[in-house]
Amino acid sequence: MPSMGFRLRLALFFVATLVTVQLLTAGLVYEVTRRALVAEGERQLTANAHAFVAQMDDISARIAGNVEVLSLDYALRAAIAERDRGTVLSVLRNHGRRVGASRMLLVGLDGAVEADTGDTATALTHFPFPDLIDSAYDRRTAAVVALDGKASWMVAVPIYAPQPVGLVVVSVPLDDALLAHMQQLSALPRDVELAAQSAPGHWAVVARGDRHTGLVDSLVAAHQGLPWKPLLTEVDGKEYMVLAQRLKQPKQGTSVVAVLGYSLDDALSPFRSVAIAWATLLALGLGVGLLGAWFTARSVSRPVEALAAAARRIEAGDYRTPASMQRHDEIGQLAGAFGTMTKAVHQREWHIRHQAMHDSVTDLPNRVAAEASIDQDLGDGDRTGEGALLMVGLTRLPEIIKTMGHALCDRLMRDASERMRRVAVDAYLARTSDTQFVLWLSQADQAAAVAAALRILDVLNEPYQETDVSIDRLPSVGIAMAPADGSQASTLLRHAEVAQFAASGSASGLSFYDATTDPHRPDRLSLMGDLRDALDRESLLLHYQPKLNLASQRVDGAEALLRWNHSRRGWIAPDAFIGMAEDTGNIQRVTRWVLASALAQAQKWIERGLPLHIAVNLSTRDLEDAELPARIGGLLSIHQVPADCLTVEVTERAVIGEPDTAIRILRRLAEQGVGIAIDDFGVGQSTFAYLRHLPVSELKIDQMFVKHLASDTNDRTIVRSIVDLSHRLGYRVTAEGVEDQGALDYLASIGCDHAQGYFISRALPADAFAAFATGRDGHAFAGGVQQ
Amino acid sequence: MRCLLMIAALFLGNAWSAPAAEVVVHLSDGRGHPVNDAVVMLMPATAAVAKSPAGPPATYIIDQHDESFIPYVQVLRPGDKVVFRNSDSTRHHVYSFAAIKTFEFVLRPGESSPALSMDQAGIAAVGCNIHDHMATYLFVSAVPAIAMSSHDGSATLGHLAAGRYTAQVWHPQLHPGHPEPIQNVTIVGDTDTVQLSFTLSLLPDPRMSMDREHLDY
Repeated sequence: MPSMGFRLRLALFFVATLVTVQLLTAGLVYEVTRRALVAEGERQLTANAHAFVAQMDDISARIAGNVEVLSLDYALRAAIAERDRGTVLSVLRNHGRRVGASRMLLVGLDGAVEADTGDTATALTHFPFPDLIDSAYDRRTAAVVALDGKASWMVAVPIYAPQPVGLVVVSVPLDDALLAHMQQLSALPRDVELAAQSAPGHWAVVARGDRHTGLVDSLVAAHQGLPWKPLLTEVDGKEYMVLAQRLKQPKQGTSVVAVLGYSLDDALSPFRSVAIAWATLLALGLGVGLLGAWFTARSVSRPVEALAAAARRIEAGDYRTPASMQRHDEIGQLAGAFGTMTKAVHQREWHIRHQAMHDSVTDLPNRVAAEASIDQDLGDGDRTGEGALLMVGLTRLPEIIKTMGHALCDRLMRDASERMRRVAVDAYLARTSDTQFVLWLSQADQAAAVAAALRILDVLNEPYQETDVSIDRLPSVGIAMAPADGSQASTLLRHAEVAQFAASGSASGLSFYDATTDPHRPDRLSLMGDLRDALDRESLLLHYQPKLNLASQRVDGAEALLRWNHSRRGWIAPDAFIGMAEDTGNIQRVTRWVLASALAQAQKWIERGLPLHIAVNLSTRDLEDAELPARIGGLLSIHQVPADCLTVEVTERAVIGEPDTAIRILRRLAEQGVGIAIDDFGVGQSTFAYLRHLPVSELKIDQMFVKHLASDTNDRTIVRSIVDLSHRLGYRVTAEGVEDQGALDYLASIGCDHAQGYFISRALPADAFAAFATGRDGHAFAGGVQQ
Repeated sequence: MRCLLMIAALFLGNAWSAPAAEVVVHLSDGRGHPVNDAVVMLMPATAAVAKSPAGPPATYIIDQHDESFIPYVQVLRPGDKVVFRNSDSTRHHVYSFAAIKTFEFVLRPGESSPALSMDQAGIAAVGCNIHDHMATYLFVSAVPAIAMSSHDGSATLGHLAAGRYTAQVWHPQLHPGHPEPIQNVTIVGDTDTVQLSFTLSLLPDPRMSMDREHLDY
């Protein structure tokens, strides 16, 4: 199971996509809106600045108009012309109130102030802005001036009577109230300030709108000046678009500017509710999307997980719950296919299991199944694990197959199984090999086992009948009892098989397992491993049995006999392992070792001046080895031993079993000059007629005829006949198993060539043999001296 | 017009015994247009202003026609008289706050004022309290060499002796508060004709269809 489930990943992917797209959209919209607002702010500010100037002009026009009406007043003109200062002042005051002026001046044509309604403390004697007066005759003249820290709008109007006699200058204060009034009347922005230049780079605010933003102060602080083009800046942490607009001013006057601000925050405020609505929608959409994604993913992942669980159950061998899903989409199709597959796999597995556990011919459980069942029965519950295992073997079966073919044999085996089933209803029946059946009688004792075995033998001894054949099956039954002969099925089976082998040779066809006569004890197999180790580690050795030349009474030859000094078992006789080595294919290695060792020893003797003749036994299997003559030739040349010093001894059985190969090998050996001796002559089936075809140079009379030679006349006759006949055929003769002086004397008397046996000497180690052979040089044999 | 001829006859009468040098003054505004109705005076730089030959005082009629005073500027000798005659069908309230002569009277259509004697030298601006655009100027001066510019912007001052003079120009539309334009003129020979040029900076003509309440800024 991955750490992050399919469902979670799917849901996360959906949500992440949704959030990303929404955030990108939001960012885009915000940026576009903001840019649009900045552009709009620039446009509005410029328009507002122009509108502000125009509005000021309107105000000054209104004031000027009023003053002009005043200027045409005959009484005023008369008063001015007549220099009637008192009347003039009162008229000016009166009129000043009408137009909303804070101060009215009468200025003479030479610029001298002739009347001033302002404070006497700040009264002017000479009008400080002569250019205002100069231009007043040509056109209406108005300008913003800063005086005493206050800004005012000054309008100069000449008085004609009918020629100019002076000018009335009206001063309208540009104060917070006026700005507020203008803001009410027009689209003047709420953030507006008037500033007068107190010194280069220093601006003092002289009036401000209804919102006290501090535009000028922060601009001067942040930018050391005022922006004459729209500027985006930050005032008190808020974004503003700011523009300074110069106002009309007299030449000698102080600069007065209007600073207008456009708050982006204010402009954005209508969008704020949109943003909140959007965020709410996003959150809502996110939630719904999350839920939707979760459910969608679940609808996909749930069935997938269910299928996975089903797959795990199937893996564990549980086919009972096929993944059934009532859906019509792809998952449903998958589930359907899955179910079908599960059924098919289940059927196939059942079939395979059945085949694995059953014999296809008889449909009985096979050996594996039988072992499992028997083991289960033996170890089951509180029972003591008693029972009888009957191994039923049909010994003739290979012969029947060769004769009648497999098909009939199969029918025969089916027939056999059916017959056994009939007579052993309660037994567990299985076929454990091609020729063998097994019956497991749970809780049965020996008597019951024998009864069952006899019943089976009865029914199987009835010949198998087909249309034109009648076949005897020759059944045999081996019985192994549990727990006496084993507490495990495998052991019981093996022992029952041993018993069955034994039974197949007996007359009754019935046998119990007997551990003492079991030729198949496991330790035999381990012996072969040890033998291979012994060959590698040279723990085998050769002993040499002297061969006495009866004519010369000298030991002139030896039969090399293999001895094994086992590290744990001590000395092991050749009989105990040679046969098994033959069976397990190890004999050729043994022979090679024996040949090499014997010839090496012969070389040593020859070098010591002992030209001894060595005889080496060959196994039947050795005569299947076509390389043997070449190998012996190689060994002879390596050890510089003459070929006629070596004799190989073979049994009669060896040359009869595989005649063609064996004879070919023997001939090649004989051609090389190696002597061929027939061992144990007389007990086998070989005849002189047969031997004539072989390159035989020597016969060794079996000890059976030699042992009682001293007393048995029949044996004497047989031995004399063999010696005679052999000599006539050109063979030398050696008598084996000479055990007394009488036999030795007789053999010498009839002209037997060599004798060997305990009476002369048992087999000796190489050194002892050399001493023995040397010691006998030139002496007549005194039997038993060494015994 | 008859009065003018009379004055001309007076000057001509003097010509026989006087020098014949001339000063022709050309007046134009800043845009090159000839300026008429300007008063040009030529005053000897060294000698005191010679008294004009005393003649019998003349009476000048300032007519009011189509809501205008005619003429716009009238040059007078001290002691001359003026009569304001209303030739319009409306009343005119003729007034003057001038220092040399203050008067005021309402003239009914067709009515004439009594003759006013202008005894002091100076300028009297006369207006109508009913019609603000009406104005006329009575230029009272004793300077002998005085002339008004004609429509081609020139004014000729004759019968001048050689010597150094100061030429001074006055016009109703000269900028108030500014010094009057003055040039020094030297006449070498008695028959010389000296050309003088003045460029005047003038205010708009108040008699035009001007409405002071609707001036452009």
